[in-house]
Amino acid sequence: MKFQIEDVTVYFPYDYIYPEQYEYMVELKRALDARGHCLLEMPTGTGKTVALLSLITSYALARPSPPLKLLYCTRTVHEMEKTLAELRLLHSHLPPTHRSLALGLSSRKNLCVNPYVLSSASRDSVDSACRRLTASWVRAAAAEQPPGAVPTCSFFESYDRAASSGPDAVLLPPGVYTLGDLRALGREKGWCPYFLARQMIRYANVVVYSYQYLLDPKVAGIISREMQRECVVVFDEAHNIDNVCIEALSVSVRRQTLDGATRNLHRMAQEIDRFKATDASRLRAEYNRLVEGLAQRGNLALTDAWLSNPALPDDILKEAVPGNIRRAEHFLSVLRRLVQYLKGRLQTENVETERPVDFVASVSSQAGIDQKMLRFCYDRLHSLMLTLEITDTDEFLHIQTICDFATLVGTYMQGFSIIIEPFDERMPHIPDPVLQLSCHDASLAIKPVFDRFQSVIITSGTLSPIDLYPRLLNFNPVISRSFTMSLTRDCICPMVLTRGSDQLPVSTKFDMRSDPGVVRNYGRLLLEMVAAVPDGIVCFFVSYSYMDGIVNSWNEMGILQDVMQHKLVFIETQDVVETTLALDNYRRACDCGRGAVFFSVARGKVAEGIDFDRHYGRLVIMFGVPFQYTLSRILIARLEYLRNTFQIKEGDFLTFDALRQAAQCVGRVIRSKADYGMMIFADKRYSRHDKRSKLPGWILSHLHDAHLNLSTDMALHIAREFLRRMAQPYDKAGTGGRKTLLSQEDLEKMGEDPMNMF
Amino acid sequence: MAVINMAAKYKTTVKEPGTPGVLRMSEDKFIFVPNDPRSAMKLNVNFRNIKGHKFSKDGSKQALLNLTQDSEKGGGYIFEFDNFSDRNVCRDFVGKVLGKFQAVTSSRQNEQPVPEKPAATVHSEQLSTTEMERRMKLLWEDSELQKLHKQFVIGGVLTESEFWATRKSLLDDVVQRTPKQRAGFRSAMLADVRPSTDGRTNKVTFSLTPEIIHQIFAEKPAVHRAFLNFVPIKMTEKDFWTKYCRAEYLHRTKNSVAAAAEAAEDEELAVFLKHDDILANEARCKIRRVDPTLDMEADLGDDYIHLPDHGILRDGSKETADAENELARRTLSQDLNRHATVVLEGRALDVELGDTRTAAEALARSKQAELCTETSDEKTNQERLEKVSRMTEIEDLQAPHSLPYAPLCIKDPREYFDSQQANAVKALGDTGAGIKPVDFSLKTEEAYTYLLEQISEVKVRGLNNLVVQPEATLKVLNGLNPYLSSTKYHLGKKPQECVLDMLPNRTKDELLHHWTSIQELLRHFWSSYPITTAYLYNKVLRLKDAMTHIYHKLQEIKEAVQSDFRHQVSLLVQPMLQALDAAFAHYDTEQQKQSTKSGNKPNGFVQ
Repeated sequence: MKFQIEDVTVYFPYDYIYPEQYEYMVELKRALDARGHCLLEMPTGTGKTVALLSLITSYALARPSPPLKLLYCTRTVHEMEKTLAELRLLHSHLPPTHRSLALGLSSRKNLCVNPYVLSSASRDSVDSACRRLTASWVRAAAAEQPPGAVPTCSFFESYDRAASSGPDAVLLPPGVYTLGDLRALGREKGWCPYFLARQMIRYANVVVYSYQYLLDPKVAGIISREMQRECVVVFDEAHNIDNVCIEALSVSVRRQTLDGATRNLHRMAQEIDRFKATDASRLRAEYNRLVEGLAQRGNLALTDAWLSNPALPDDILKEAVPGNIRRAEHFLSVLRRLVQYLKGRLQTENVETERPVDFVASVSSQAGIDQKMLRFCYDRLHSLMLTLEITDTDEFLHIQTICDFATLVGTYMQGFSIIIEPFDERMPHIPDPVLQLSCHDASLAIKPVFDRFQSVIITSGTLSPIDLYPRLLNFNPVISRSFTMSLTRDCICPMVLTRGSDQLPVSTKFDMRSDPGVVRNYGRLLLEMVAAVPDGIVCFFVSYSYMDGIVNSWNEMGILQDVMQHKLVFIETQDVVETTLALDNYRRACDCGRGAVFFSVARGKVAEGIDFDRHYGRLVIMFGVPFQYTLSRILIARLEYLRNTFQIKEGDFLTFDALRQAAQCVGRVIRSKADYGMMIFADKRYSRHDKRSKLPGWILSHLHDAHLNLSTDMALHIAREFLRRMAQPYDKAGTGGRKTLLSQEDLEKMGEDPMNMF
Repeated sequence: MAVINMAAKYKTTVKEPGTPGVLRMSEDKFIFVPNDPRSAMKLNVNFRNIKGHKFSKDGSKQALLNLTQDSEKGGGYIFEFDNFSDRNVCRDFVGKVLGKFQAVTSSRQNEQPVPEKPAATVHSEQLSTTEMERRMKLLWEDSELQKLHKQFVIGGVLTESEFWATRKSLLDDVVQRTPKQRAGFRSAMLADVRPSTDGRTNKVTFSLTPEIIHQIFAEKPAVHRAFLNFVPIKMTEKDFWTKYCRAEYLHRTKNSVAAAAEAAEDEELAVFLKHDDILANEARCKIRRVDPTLDMEADLGDDYIHLPDHGILRDGSKETADAENELARRTLSQDLNRHATVVLEGRALDVELGDTRTAAEALARSKQAELCTETSDEKTNQERLEKVSRMTEIEDLQAPHSLPYAPLCIKDPREYFDSQQANAVKALGDTGAGIKPVDFSLKTEEAYTYLLEQISEVKVRGLNNLVVQPEATLKVLNGLNPYLSSTKYHLGKKPQECVLDMLPNRTKDELLHHWTSIQELLRHFWSSYPITTAYLYNKVLRLKDAMTHIYHKLQEIKEAVQSDFRHQVSLLVQPMLQALDAAFAHYDTEQQKQSTKSGNKPNGFVQ
């Protein structure tokens, strides 16, 4: 369908539209008009993504100059695939003259088609295997030698030949390209899909990629450098964006890292000696270049691109590298001293917490390395490794980590702390010392994004309380709004279960969670539900260790065997491959009607981005409140920072964080208004107002007072009633005063009478 | 039938060791002669005294055959055989003999007036047990068929084969249905064998059945491979499973030190404890074909260029597992996932779960076949893409897709629709409202004018295109008229009500039964013509006798009913009698023809 929002013609790929999608688009358009940032919370299952894509694409078509580019950031690669699939659907509904180019970008591991490179097991080795074939000096050597003597990548070579005649020669025809499509195209044409995609993001109208490509300064410096200001940046599923920002700037150093770094340094020293003997001029050239500063780094070959500086690069590019690390030997000795110093710090018996200022002062006094040298470590290493023509970068990851750490410590004085722990809190008998540089200020990583791009849209199903995010991320949205959901029928049924069938309270509170009574009551709950609910059921636990424990106890008690009488059981493990296969099988079990249960973890990978819509999830059980591990030093330090800087109370933040995770877990059951699902919050603490009120509004509005304090048998009764009700036919368009499904006609009517819209 | 001699042990109870000897079975009795001539365990039993037989499952510990004397008393003769094939020969023999005896006794019990003819046994062709089972199943499911079978086959009117010949299609249906209904794996985790202890000693016992072993093979390819490699070349099957159980026990007790020590000493044992490399390979293959919208493996390190130790390491959400242990810890979660996967794949074997070796080989074969079919990757890729695009659409924002559906299969349409109608009527009665009676009544003038118009039209056009022959119509109308008028008088109002429902239950049942019997007999009767063999002649004779019997019965019913139903019943019986009369008439004319011909051919019938 096609309709007007003010002066923009919006192309929407469906015959009908939900009123909240329309409202969402209206708000979004206003934000784009105002060229400002915005924050929008809309319940899952109301077609957020398609509304976003449809409006922004239409907006770009309505205002062709300056060309507006959409950078769509997703948390994971599979979400990227989903988004591209929606985009493809939208594309088939656009007028043929308005075709645009959209593509997804991922790492070499997901895009490479070279069979030799792909045969390497881990992603790091894929990167370095690629580099071994495509680095500029390797190609130069290959050009000199007879063909075949030095192996190169035929895909890259043919792409390079095609691209050398001008960018138009390799320009992709308009369309939507998923990672699979890019690979297929690469195989067909014999071009390297990875470098093709890297080149194409300059010309594409829509680019879909991972958060890191914008938030991690190391990556953003290369990938997103050329993006113009006229970009709309969308962070979808952004409820965890503060954590992603923090992770991007956090580094930890373990004993293995230091040992590896020592080995790396040793090897680099050997290389330097070799070069001195054979090709001393090269080292001298590097020295001269460093005197002039790092600014000229821009003209490197495409394939030599390295991680940029982990801190914000602009501050550093203008300065010259300090004199005492310009010579390669000097720099190596600085690094050796740094590694030695860190080794000494790791040998502590007690937990130590330090601010970066103190740490830098201590490095300076004990190792003789000042702050400026620290700050340049990363770039200096980068330059040295290029000079030494090192291609097996996967061998040198450890020293990179150390330099990364040094640069971060040397750059930021605020919002960080350094924590040294001699052992893991939960396993005190195993010595495993870690030095962690942890970032507390989420706004640091995202600041350049807000500064550079004209509109940044942060959206998710759970952004409650919505006023907290601008504070955490330190920005001023022009629009911040939370939408409710207009339902044709009560198709979600949240319940709070506080007691088991024996009327004893259930909770995952620390003192109660291993109580066999609680374990049994949780098991009985699952058993009853498995017998009553058709198709798929998803269970979320508070942590891996808790899940392992409770599943083992259920196995011993025989509950698991009873559950398996009704449904197959699949479990998320820490092994991603196994979890993916388990999910795939879970879906197949739901498809074929056998039905299955999926056990997952609230902060795990599955909870982050897998949908359990329709028959894949008719019921979600959240066992317990997914609080963070509160004894973690990092968390304590972060809470302290939040209290001092933003005046956010510890308890409030913890509850907010736990409840957004819980809401995110249960919110995955609904895909559309025709869908239906139940949500059980199985913990007595959910019945307390301070916890419950942190849930997003669209869940709260369906949480009846009668469902706040249930026992297992009552919950079972409600579930049966609910399923029976959902099986009845209903009027999709909604009856009475409020329509829940709008056709083109309705929209036109509303357009004529804008005052009477909502 | 032949006589069977087989070496066996005779036992009075299952537990005791038994007396070795020779079992000799003939058609009417079995004789057991012990090897030791001094033994008193001589038997000479007539099969007439045997009521049934039981036997142990193939693949169980002992190959037993139990000939039970009396189901109430439970006494019997237990024989243990050296192997299952010997036992199965005896079992089949006993089954046949007992079947024959039972058929004879049951026919006697029914006390049919028809004299016992040898035809029933003479024509009993050698049937396979599956065929037999299929027939039994059909009879079991359909009570009407069972009644007919009892009446005619056991009554000796029709032979078994004659009876089933007309029902080939029914049997074929059953045949076709069976392969689709292959049983998959059970949901229960059998492979998770739990040891039992006797409580007094330190001994633990694992018990494995063929089904459990099959599941172990399917879920643990490494064990499967080891079995194929080691047994019986390197070790016996028993040793193999002992080792396996030992490894399981070590795993279960979570005694990793002991496990490591044992594995270092014994390389075969280590196979069970080590990480399963076949599974890992399989997983790597499968991950490529997974739906991209849930491929979490792709995220792993998608942060463009990856550095280790980034992000927050120790915030409690991630657990640092020590992967140094070479004997990788197999967790319960992995077992559960693996089990569910295998159940879902439903890799069923076509061989019986008897011998472990054959089961293992069959499993290997089926896996091989699976590998071959995996080549059609392109097509699955296409399907996957279609599925993804279908999944992304929001279903209620657009017109519904027409998905392929399986047609509804109703086993007995008549029963289904009748019950539906009855329900509908009942529902109408419940709600009280029902369909409003449509007013069909016309005024006389209207009807008259309408008819007048019709007549004038016919006058103009003439009766040129007749749907039916007028004479035939008239005949039918005349025939129906008295019936209609009378029934209308009695019931009229409700069209759903049937004349049959008015009759007493016994009469109704009898009438229905006779109706089906007559149909069955007539079908056989008419299909026997032209009579070409002596066999057919005999059959027709038998059928004619049965039909006369029923004819008399019908007459009796007609006379027996109360006077107020007599008219109804006679109306119902009329068509049956007519059909029978027609058959008799045909028989008589044929008979006359035959007799005139037989003058020319004195030796009897046409061969």
